Amino acid sequence: MSITRRTVLASATLIPLAAITKAQSPATTLSPDQRQTLDALIDRLIPKDELGPGAVEAGVGDYIDRCLADYLAAEKPLFLEGLSNLDVYCLRTQKIAFATLTPAQRDAVLTDIENNQAPNLRGFFNRVRRLTLEGMFGDPVYGGNKNFAGWDLIRYPGAKLAAGPEDQSMKTPPKPYRKELYGAGANHGH
Amino acid sequence: MATNLKPTDVVVVGLGAAGGVAVLPLTRAGLKVTALEAGSWMQPSDFKADEIHNNVRRRVTTGTKVWDEIPTFRTSPDQQARQGAAPTMMNAVGGTSIHYYANSWRFHPWDFKVRSETLRRYGANAIPKGSTVEDWPLTYDDLESYYDTIEYEIGVSGKAGNIKGFINPKGNVFEGPRSREYPMPPLRDTEFTDMLQASARKAGFSPHRSPAAINSQPRDGRSPCAYHGYCDTGGCHVKAKNSTAVTTIPAAQKTKNLTIVERAHVTRILTDDNGKTTGALYIKDGQEFFQPAKVVLLASYTYENVRMMLLSKSKAFPNGLANNHGQVGKHYIGHWANREVTALFPFDLNLWYGANAQGVVVNNWADDSFDHTGLGFIGGASLTINHELHPIAASSMPTFNRAPQWGAKWKKFVAENANRWVGAYAQCNSLPYENTWLDLDPEVKDKLGDPVCRITSGPKENEPRASAHAAAKAEAWFRAAGAIEVITVPNTVGPNLSTHAVGGTRMGAKPESSVVDRWGFAHESPNLGILGGSVLGTHGARNPTLTIQALAWRTAEHLVKNWKTLAG
Repeated sequence: MSITRRTVLASATLIPLAAITKAQSPATTLSPDQRQTLDALIDRLIPKDELGPGAVEAGVGDYIDRCLADYLAAEKPLFLEGLSNLDVYCLRTQKIAFATLTPAQRDAVLTDIENNQAPNLRGFFNRVRRLTLEGMFGDPVYGGNKNFAGWDLIRYPGAKLAAGPEDQSMKTPPKPYRKELYGAGANHGH
Repeated sequence: MATNLKPTDVVVVGLGAAGGVAVLPLTRAGLKVTALEAGSWMQPSDFKADEIHNNVRRRVTTGTKVWDEIPTFRTSPDQQARQGAAPTMMNAVGGTSIHYYANSWRFHPWDFKVRSETLRRYGANAIPKGSTVEDWPLTYDDLESYYDTIEYEIGVSGKAGNIKGFINPKGNVFEGPRSREYPMPPLRDTEFTDMLQASARKAGFSPHRSPAAINSQPRDGRSPCAYHGYCDTGGCHVKAKNSTAVTTIPAAQKTKNLTIVERAHVTRILTDDNGKTTGALYIKDGQEFFQPAKVVLLASYTYENVRMMLLSKSKAFPNGLANNHGQVGKHYIGHWANREVTALFPFDLNLWYGANAQGVVVNNWADDSFDHTGLGFIGGASLTINHELHPIAASSMPTFNRAPQWGAKWKKFVAENANRWVGAYAQCNSLPYENTWLDLDPEVKDKLGDPVCRITSGPKENEPRASAHAAAKAEAWFRAAGAIEVITVPNTVGPNLSTHAVGGTRMGAKPESSVVDRWGFAHESPNLGILGGSVLGTHGARNPTLTIQALAWRTAEHLVKNWKTLAG
């Protein structure tokens, strides 16, 4: 076993290995098809481009999947209905499922939803957009914001426990602080 | 069948911002106090630098029972009220003082005599239509020494603008006279707060730094603020925020006269046939207990104070505790406060770190500090612009009609601008109205089967006008600071559920129009004291906690001085 930061921390605090393994693979709940549809959607909300990773690359799908498995389990049926309605709408208007549309076609579908052309999808769309922001810009411990992609994008210098005067300067931006405060198997937020 | 416990001198229901203050003068005087708190102690390790933990999942503010007790809301009596989405209170030792912004304001002298001052200066027609506003039964001067006591007991940082009439433009020049300087200087100045102060002066305003119950320097063996940017809705990991859980409650424990019962869910206040309270009934870990006491101090959040009284029916009070005049729930005020003006700058602001209470405030357009002749409203709003921006909130920014809400263009927009925007927080002087009150919901119940509190809040004219007037001043301030876009989303409907909910058991001279007397004791039940926002008769243009705490201390001190009369 290679010596990683996690194993060092774990041995230092005597966390049983089983607990770490569990923390490293949190429960997910979406089927591969459902996850594919979700990824196809969040990819259009925050696409990968010259500015950096998009929602898919930043692990927003993992964030949402984990939420639905745990914290938002009660919301899961409604969420799945939304995913399903999205495909129904695409099959009706484009003859193929959402995930198999080209990016431009997917954008057109999302624009329809925004313009209330598919009114039963508006609430779902808003919810996915909100969860995408949470996954992209929230703490990486929840599965999203991988490699701090979200924080790099908006120049958030990073979560830390104390900030000095230099960190609050407008004219001289603080150096990014890119360490996970709550990683390494911390049973955090549950 | 409830287990009868050993009698105590005073039972305090709720050990939060108000009850947590009152226990100190009581226990110092040697009274035996039992505090019944629905929540538990929280530790610094419960508090995280994590927006999802604090603001999305509300892990700090979610108590043991608040989710079942969220009030319902409607805007007119012919509607069915709907339950709110999230609680505005919490259960823990220290209560909401654990996670609040800790802005610690004195109310303006005008707030205590809105009615008589308005009549004097503008005439009877200037009193807003439908308002039930009365002068408080005490003045700012009556409360001054208690404000001072709280500022020094819990620790407030700030800069005085008026010490015994001597005006210092570095502080709030509009404030009522205070007897001495704050115990600590304001939280750290930054390039941003410097810029805001300079631009406010350029616009002709009188800016100053926010007063905060946060240590700006080491105090009582506790650390100064770490400025890490997770103060809002989070507790303090270094105990620099002066919640009652780290200040007055531990001090009261040192007297050995305070017993704290955690996880005590109080269900009723009991009374004898003469209308005197006899103690509190509560459930803890599935068991029911009765705590007898000579005096009951009800000290929960406004919605719960009112609900507890309306639920506590008895032979002496068939319509609820101390409610034979039908005043419990009346004169409720949801604070008219919002971030309605938002600005975009052409340079990075770097607001991420710091604390909400690390702000700059303009008070020129609040209270009666300017001539209202011909304006069509009384009062106004304070304006605050402050540090502390979290990344999810930052990326949820308005796009100022410069970008869509998603996709590559949105990504480019937030990449550039999430670090370049800020809102101004306008808090209005807010009044009680006939069309706005609290009662029990006829349908929605908590887990025990007791109805939750129902808010009925009808339309108002005065507050939206005052708010719009102040919003225009906020725009001028932002423009003077170099903003390239300013948008105003007018607050025309006011709050539904409020974290600044006051009134409902207001303080007054007569039982026909108020519930408690000028000392905070019920007109109809002499050994029942009420602490908390529910006793306020008006809401000032600023955060209410310090006023609530000053009143709580005053009520407790009055009880100590008049123990034989009140407890006899």
